[in-house]
Amino acid sequence: MTDFPTPCFPTPHAIKQQLQACRSKEETFKALVILSKALPRLSDEEKTEDNKIKGCESAVWLITVEDAGRRYFKADSDAKLMRGVLVAVISLVAGENQQTIQKMDLKSELAELNLSSYLTSSRSNGVLAILKTIGQN
Amino acid sequence: MAFNSYSLRNQFPILQQTAYGYPLAYLDNAATTQKPLFVLDAIQDYYRSFNANVHRGAHFLSDRATNRFEQARERVAQFIHAPENSHVIWSKGATEAINMVAYGLEHLLQQDDEILITSLEHHANLVPWQQLAFRTGARLRVLPLTSNGEWESEYQKYFTDRTRIFAATQVSNAIGVSTPLKTMIQEAKKYSAFTLVDGAQAVAHYPVDVEDIDCDFYVFSGHKMYGPTGIGVLYGKSQALEILIPYQTGGEMVRHVAYQATEFNILPYRLEAGTPHIEGAIGLAAACEFLIQQDRPALLAWEQKLANHVYTRLIKEGGIELYSPEKNTTLVSLSVPNIHTIDLNAYLDSKGVAVRAGSHCAHPLMAQLGVSGTLRASFACYNTLEEADQFCDVLLEAIEILGDD
Repeated sequence: MTDFPTPCFPTPHAIKQQLQACRSKEETFKALVILSKALPRLSDEEKTEDNKIKGCESAVWLITVEDAGRRYFKADSDAKLMRGVLVAVISLVAGENQQTIQKMDLKSELAELNLSSYLTSSRSNGVLAILKTIGQN
Repeated sequence: MAFNSYSLRNQFPILQQTAYGYPLAYLDNAATTQKPLFVLDAIQDYYRSFNANVHRGAHFLSDRATNRFEQARERVAQFIHAPENSHVIWSKGATEAINMVAYGLEHLLQQDDEILITSLEHHANLVPWQQLAFRTGARLRVLPLTSNGEWESEYQKYFTDRTRIFAATQVSNAIGVSTPLKTMIQEAKKYSAFTLVDGAQAVAHYPVDVEDIDCDFYVFSGHKMYGPTGIGVLYGKSQALEILIPYQTGGEMVRHVAYQATEFNILPYRLEAGTPHIEGAIGLAAACEFLIQQDRPALLAWEQKLANHVYTRLIKEGGIELYSPEKNTTLVSLSVPNIHTIDLNAYLDSKGVAVRAGSHCAHPLMAQLGVSGTLRASFACYNTLEEADQFCDVLLEAIEILGDD
């Protein structure tokens, strides 16, 4: 067994409560800063070009590990808000199998968490690219 | 005439709104400026009153449109002190204008010729030259300007007998410094190089006199000087424009066409294939008119005062790296160690402050500065001291929230 799943992650339910309680962009910002602290940082060896997600202005690395058909994810970013978003995204999909992940409407799930402004096609963030990578073969 | 940014601000309807409940502080003017009513009205008036294709139909509306379109060219020529209207070629913007020159001069370049640019260039004044070098076997060389834009006598060695093209920005978009333009142009002339100046960041702030600069080509975009997007200008001296091979061909730019050969039209039409961006030209001329009507030295002094105010406040705080100069600039470019500029940007946005974070399309310059990106607050004539303070206050809050581990 690898070192997945990450034990210190808040539950999807807790994350949902925290983010849905935000009444403004500023509150969401602060909530993401707090969430970001739950993401274990990757080592420099893990931050390879292969693990890097294209399309993000901040650097984002994502590592997928399959264990008995279930998917777990390790990730990091040099931007704090992105680390908060990664915690939210990973909490939704960690431990699921690929088919389940592919069937999930992650865009809507994130929109429900007040994160829709992170889902624009703006080049400043690549959350859409992350979602694509998470469900990939 | 006393300049008052508050009354000027009323002429910009878009600024009269809040963002997420906060007063909108638009400080991303180096990316694009907002448009005054004078420009908006000119564009609407075109469609309401005299929309027609130019230079062809002999009818009431076409005559009016053609007259106004050519008056727009004249207005822009006056604005940059071009001696002839035909020296003003319409383009989509500065980027297209530079590409028109890079493709247009290709036939003159040979293996081992040199194209010289500075280290402060936007990608728009870098990539077209690099690609031209790849196509022709010429070499791209980079004159390393210091981040305070100073001319050092050792720079002379970058100009050689092989220097065929010298292209430089007038003002850096990323760090706001002005380059020693006239010294560089004079140096380039000693070697008979073609000279091109990227004025995209200059036209909104500084008076431009292309004859005084004495460059062969001068380019800029309308949208960075209170005009519409999709329109810009390639100014050139007659001989310089004549030597360009048109990089686009088609209608409008021809005098006679047969299956065997085509006779091209005279300047400026020779370089303007297809139906032009008529509304854009009219809007850009209105933007020139808007600026001409202002007390421009007072506008510039105000914009510089705002940038200096922010600089002075932030330098006192410590822990903030500033890349723009203290004075004589209209923007502030900074970074904070261990905090991503995207995070700073996001917090500023959440409190209504619009700035820009990132590399500002100048990757090599960022490498020279040793950062992946900077946060840039860039000012225009309608910005206020309150907005400058709003930026500083919110930035300091952001640093406190983000810097806690």
